[in-house]
Amino acid sequence: MSRDPRLVVLLVTTACAGLCACGHPRVQPPQRQAGTLVVLLPDADDGTVGRAFVSTTSGMAELASARASTSVVGNGAAGTVAPLSEAEVQTLFGSALTTMPRHAHQFTLYFQFESDELTAESRALVPQVVQAVKDYPFPDVEVIGHTDTTGSAASNVELGMRRATLVRRLLLDAGLDGSIVDATSHGEADLLVATSDETMEPRNRRVEISVR
Amino acid sequence: MLLSLRWIAGALIVIIPVVASAAEPGAAGRIKVVSGSVVVVRAAVATPATAGQAVFEADTLRTGANGRVGITFNDDTRVSLGPDSEARLDQFIYMPAEKRGGLVLRIVRGLIAYVSGRIAKLSPDGVKLETPNAIVGVRGTTLALRVDAK
Repeated sequence: MSRDPRLVVLLVTTACAGLCACGHPRVQPPQRQAGTLVVLLPDADDGTVGRAFVSTTSGMAELASARASTSVVGNGAAGTVAPLSEAEVQTLFGSALTTMPRHAHQFTLYFQFESDELTAESRALVPQVVQAVKDYPFPDVEVIGHTDTTGSAASNVELGMRRATLVRRLLLDAGLDGSIVDATSHGEADLLVATSDETMEPRNRRVEISVR
Repeated sequence: MLLSLRWIAGALIVIIPVVASAAEPGAAGRIKVVSGSVVVVRAAVATPATAGQAVFEADTLRTGANGRVGITFNDDTRVSLGPDSEARLDQFIYMPAEKRGGLVLRIVRGLIAYVSGRIAKLSPDGVKLETPNAIVGVRGTTLALRVDAK
């Protein structure tokens, strides 16, 4: 099969010849048009494919399958959506893709009921977090406190912060450098299990740790 | 019992800072990978990029003919640039407790790969990859773009 025409289009330069105001014929250097090539890729970690929307002044194209791509040349509309091959993706984007930092390693910790004590299972994760940090160059660790929807949003931000601060302290006690560990709270705004307001839900009372 | 626990939590607010932050205040992310020639342009001053360096809103990253750079943002969004590329972080808002988020990257030229983080979940319409002639919106995904400047 021949080379994908959209890739060729992207490289096309349009030569413009013009006359200057005083009448001397003059050849302008070739004018290159702005070009954008977009390709949707499967997630490197779990293979899931999301969606992307490519908007221009004259409309929108949707990318919704693995390696679906489209090109926009100059002020034109997005071109026909068609997949690139794996080889084309590597040829075109390999330099950027191989430079992508490692994906964040996520841990979720739970507390005993109405307590500031982690469950035994969650406490056992602390050394694993410390170990995971060693996999990352110039690591950052974010400790995020979450609550369920019982109580006001403001008080839950405080409660989440209190729990995140406790877990941050455990990580520092286990040997992590405090300068790389942040504690934050999402309060009740980032539920693991969707519930209505004022709902007790143990799975939402958690601390997430993101090592990146 | 639960009520009293929350009362205690409320009383503690005065002594617990909103963010027990250790990283550089206001940083949007950190450069994790650098190879070849890469500069960060901040307030019109270009300085060589180094791994471990913080990245802020309004920073521009520019790679040379042999340059590559990879950044992880505070919301776990990841971005990498190939050679001869330039991109500016026009907006970075990550305020999950207020359900606010926004990430706008302006790609001037070159090669860029993007992997969604928490902002894309928090505010699906808030993530935009802008090129000279297109705006790309995302729904939780990995993308690669190539931009040939005019």
